[in-house]
Amino acid sequence: MACVQGKAKTKGITERVSGMKKSNEDIDLLLERNAAEQLDRFDWDEFGATISRRLNQAQQSKTSGIRFPTIFKIAAGFIAAAAIVFIAVMVKTDAPMTVRFDNGPGAVVKLVESKGSATVEILDSKGQDNQSSNRSSWIIIRTRESKVADNGQSRDEADFACLM
Amino acid sequence: MNDSLKVKTSDIERLVKASQAGDRGAFDEIIRLYQRRAMQIAVRMLGNANEAAEAVQSGFVKAYLNINKLREPKRFEAWFFRIVTNTAISQRRAAKRRAEKIKIAESYDGKKALSPVEDRIGEELKEAIQRAILKLSKKQAKAIALFGIEDLPREKVAEIMGCSAEAVKWHVFKARQKLRVLLKEYLE
Repeated sequence: MACVQGKAKTKGITERVSGMKKSNEDIDLLLERNAAEQLDRFDWDEFGATISRRLNQAQQSKTSGIRFPTIFKIAAGFIAAAAIVFIAVMVKTDAPMTVRFDNGPGAVVKLVESKGSATVEILDSKGQDNQSSNRSSWIIIRTRESKVADNGQSRDEADFACLM
Repeated sequence: MNDSLKVKTSDIERLVKASQAGDRGAFDEIIRLYQRRAMQIAVRMLGNANEAAEAVQSGFVKAYLNINKLREPKRFEAWFFRIVTNTAISQRRAAKRRAEKIKIAESYDGKKALSPVEDRIGEELKEAIQRAILKLSKKQAKAIALFGIEDLPREKVAEIMGCSAEAVKWHVFKARQKLRVLLKEYLE
């Protein structure tokens, strides 16, 4: 009985394996036929001509790629050197900083000049001197003080200078 | 086409060395010798001759531009087929998009029904095969494509794929399994 069962099991496995083999062959055949059919109608002359054209283009760009880098390197070197010189000059030059006129609240004209950490404001008062017909103005200089100056003797000097 | 499928190693070594020295004629000869096999591989990977042609042409251009990097000329075949399969893989996404577009366009195209039945079935099967192939993983697509090429031993397929021969067998097995399901109605 066990022998019969064993034989049946073996037969089942063999059938499954041969079925799978057949199925594998069918898939391979399908892929093979698909490729063969497509390539039978394929235009090999056009294919060859396209490769040739693309290789010529590639060769041209390769040649120009070899010739141009040196030129590009020299040009890039010049540009980099010029940029460095320009930055160095800009840093070293003691050129005046931007002056900006601004109409602030309560001021007719406000001149703001920022240089370093100092700010200068000129405020025109609305009152007029009757005798000289001149208008009085206030000049306010605001500057950041260092910690030492803020607490030391120089603070008074700085404040005095500001008032003047 | 008079190119033979089997290329002698000594011939290819000579042609590669000449190409490395700048002989364009030698590279043209290489193209002639390998174009058919490269196309077979690419069609099996992309399921469409036009897509395959694009991949093979790009493969030849890449090989031409980089031939001086090949240190062992006798290993040209594996090197070149690796370039072709990698190029085909990178083209698969675009091919998938195009295949889907064709499928959508056909579902709205009334003219399709007027074509002869046999042709229609042939085209339908081709498109089904392409869609199925494009659903395989990259390694499965490479393995099933290379495995079916005549005169390409399993060891060479492994060398091209950069894995062991056992791994190639496994990828082929999985690819067939997937294709069996996807193409079930055409296999019965």
